[in-house]
Amino acid sequence: MVRRAFFVDGIECFNTLSLPSPVRFCVLCGSSPSSGYPAGVPGRVTSRRAVLAGMAALGAAAVLWPYTPKSRRRVPRGGRGRVELTYWEKWTGLEGLALQRLVDRFNASQERVWVHLIPVGDIDAKAMVAIGGGDPPDLVGLYTYNVPGYAEARAVMPLDEFVSRGGLQREGREGERRLEAGTESERGVGGGGSGGRGEGDGVADAEYAPGVRELLWHEGRQWAGVNTCYTLGLYYNRAMLREVGADAPTTVAELDAIADELTTQDAQGRITRAGFLQNLPGWWPYLWPAMFGGALFDAGRNAATVDSPACVEAFEWIAATARRRHGVAATRAFAAAFGRSMHSAQDPFISGRLAMIVQGPWLANFIAALNPALEFGVVPLPVSGALRASGRVDDANPVGLLEADVLMIPRGCPHPEEAYEFLRFHQQQREQEQLALDHFKPSPFAAPSPEFLARHGHPGIRVHNAIVGSRNAMVLPRTRVWKQYSDLTTAAFDAVWGGADVKQTLAGLNERAQQLIDSAEERRRQRQSGRRGESNEMKTSRWHGGLA
Amino acid sequence: MRESRRNLLAGLLWVSPWLVGVAAFLLAPLAITAYVSFTDYSLLEEPVWVGAANYREMAGDPVFWKAVRNTGLYALSFLVLGTVVSVLIAVLLEQPLRGRGLVRAIVFLPTLIPVVSASIGWMWLFNAQHGLLNAVLGRVGLPTPDWLGNPTFAMPSLILMSLWVVGSYVVICTAALRDVPAALYEAADLDGMGALARFRHVTLPMISPAILFNAVMSIIWGLQVFAVPLIMTKGGPNNATVVFSMYVYSNAFAYGRMGYASALAWVQLLATLALTGVALMIARRFVHYRGA
Repeated sequence: MVRRAFFVDGIECFNTLSLPSPVRFCVLCGSSPSSGYPAGVPGRVTSRRAVLAGMAALGAAAVLWPYTPKSRRRVPRGGRGRVELTYWEKWTGLEGLALQRLVDRFNASQERVWVHLIPVGDIDAKAMVAIGGGDPPDLVGLYTYNVPGYAEARAVMPLDEFVSRGGLQREGREGERRLEAGTESERGVGGGGSGGRGEGDGVADAEYAPGVRELLWHEGRQWAGVNTCYTLGLYYNRAMLREVGADAPTTVAELDAIADELTTQDAQGRITRAGFLQNLPGWWPYLWPAMFGGALFDAGRNAATVDSPACVEAFEWIAATARRRHGVAATRAFAAAFGRSMHSAQDPFISGRLAMIVQGPWLANFIAALNPALEFGVVPLPVSGALRASGRVDDANPVGLLEADVLMIPRGCPHPEEAYEFLRFHQQQREQEQLALDHFKPSPFAAPSPEFLARHGHPGIRVHNAIVGSRNAMVLPRTRVWKQYSDLTTAAFDAVWGGADVKQTLAGLNERAQQLIDSAEERRRQRQSGRRGESNEMKTSRWHGGLA
Repeated sequence: MRESRRNLLAGLLWVSPWLVGVAAFLLAPLAITAYVSFTDYSLLEEPVWVGAANYREMAGDPVFWKAVRNTGLYALSFLVLGTVVSVLIAVLLEQPLRGRGLVRAIVFLPTLIPVVSASIGWMWLFNAQHGLLNAVLGRVGLPTPDWLGNPTFAMPSLILMSLWVVGSYVVICTAALRDVPAALYEAADLDGMGALARFRHVTLPMISPAILFNAVMSIIWGLQVFAVPLIMTKGGPNNATVVFSMYVYSNAFAYGRMGYASALAWVQLLATLALTGVALMIARRFVHYRGA
């Protein structure tokens, strides 16, 4: 058919397609000007078209040939036949290398499974598309805010599902029962549920800290393993505080007083050195209510509470910093100057232009690399006088944000049993603490091992660990709309910083957040009532063409 | 008859990649998003039919209205200022000036720079404390605003940056200018027209099809702007630079609300079609086609 199309009206294909001469043989149709029509015996000269086609084929092969990065570990020769797992993780650089070492230890620990660690950018969006498309990896490292949504959608496997397959430890059931028995009232500032006490916890061989447990469980089931956790504390420049004869602040009033003394401005009103600003680094605009005993979400009522008196008080404090104490334009300009230089040599804290900053434990790593001469310390977040006076906050139960990365097994993955085997290895206290040591982070377990504390290179690691174990550790709201709620909070923070009325702004934010929460709950009820005896997994499977 | 049928089949065969592409990557997604826009769907679980709830939700969504306002402002500014600037530069570069070839190359060059690099470069220019712009303004005693950090200045800053990449529009206008018959200018001279009258009554009508083309492209690109605000401001401060495409993306891939995102995308598509249609209707009165 194709060959005939080239010979329309009996014109030789060379003329029709304007092929160059002298050419004696067309490889597509076999015709030759000298041999007449139709083509006879092929000649020996290859046409330009054939050369171009060959080059195109080679180019396509080069582009489409599977790419294996040099850093990717290959299955050893003697290990052929192992089950190969794909593990997507967001980390690169030093953090990625530390995780690769953990994976290497697992690969070397047994001869049945081989884990390929693959760094993936924008991982939550890609994981969602891969799971929804029915082609997920065996393991995926996500964020804690993904847990409620993924759990409710059954997009990941609850780890107790492995009970029936003989995979779950006894402690897992125990841990689950303990969680159900735990009450939210056991937690202090920030709210949330709590676990019990025991030797093992869920899939781990040691007990998770209560706040970490809360991040991994949803509706009484464990959906994820912890993949290091971190807490936020107040880092301070010792030399600067000495300059004004101050100790590290423990209350908001002390923090403000020290900050005011240390802040300097030039003749044009530009800040040349800041004591403390809530918009630097500006990554956790939802954090501040915890310092006043406020919470953004009431899990019991499934309600947004960002307009509560404690939250209003926190945002009034933010507004006062910008408007009354240092000026909106000056503070914005000062923060904007560091927009893309955080954690570099120009970082405001590392370079000595900011005396105090709320940051995670990783900051010590950057200080060691970029300005080792910097004298710094870390303390829990200062709290309001009223909260301090209430007796809810003490040295054993400081205030700070507790967050974690999580590791989950997507539903529909090719090798769930083997993925679970890796996850159990990954949740061992020894492995998690080694990873935490490499990342400069605190231990996610209720009782960090003595070796962990002794070997840790962070001078303030005990402060970060104290926040992990604190009943006042703030964890992010356990609702599937948190990401959107968080973005709205960021906008509200900007508005308040710029001069908007605090009560009105927070009331608007609360209303919109509640609409989102109610809408999500309504859809969830709709889905549940629409099941009519059919499991969600089955329906999901049907829609996605065999996901589960 | 068989011959014509054969030709038809051959023709269809040749255009089949395009047909398949349009069907698979345009028509099918359009149909699917139209359906999904009436559902609650997160990609992770089955869609639930919610009727027009997603469209109704927009009415009470403050970020939606901010995105509409910001996108409209950006598109309108890009359309008006971009058109004016590109025509003026093209006319200027058609004058017998020394080095105009070099200037034309410089004007076109920004269109070749990747948007990420350009955005980061402009972020440094706009930097409130260390930026070149404020350094110059400060030297001459003018106020030095926080261009990207202040909600009042953030969107105008992005619009200003967009005018930097009008090079391709300038090229189109230049081509149109060179196509204006010299006889028309000679006739205008004989009629005693001055430079401005010549521009108003000869040049503008003759290049109006090119201006229309640029205007339509400006509307489409202006309403779809995404990368520049995402890189330079991430939609802040206080959503002052959040634009429609960014809000569609956030809902789809950050919030897992594919249904709402699809409804937003359809509103965006219909708005773009409507505005382009309006532009074409208005153009009937003002655009002059030779021989028409």
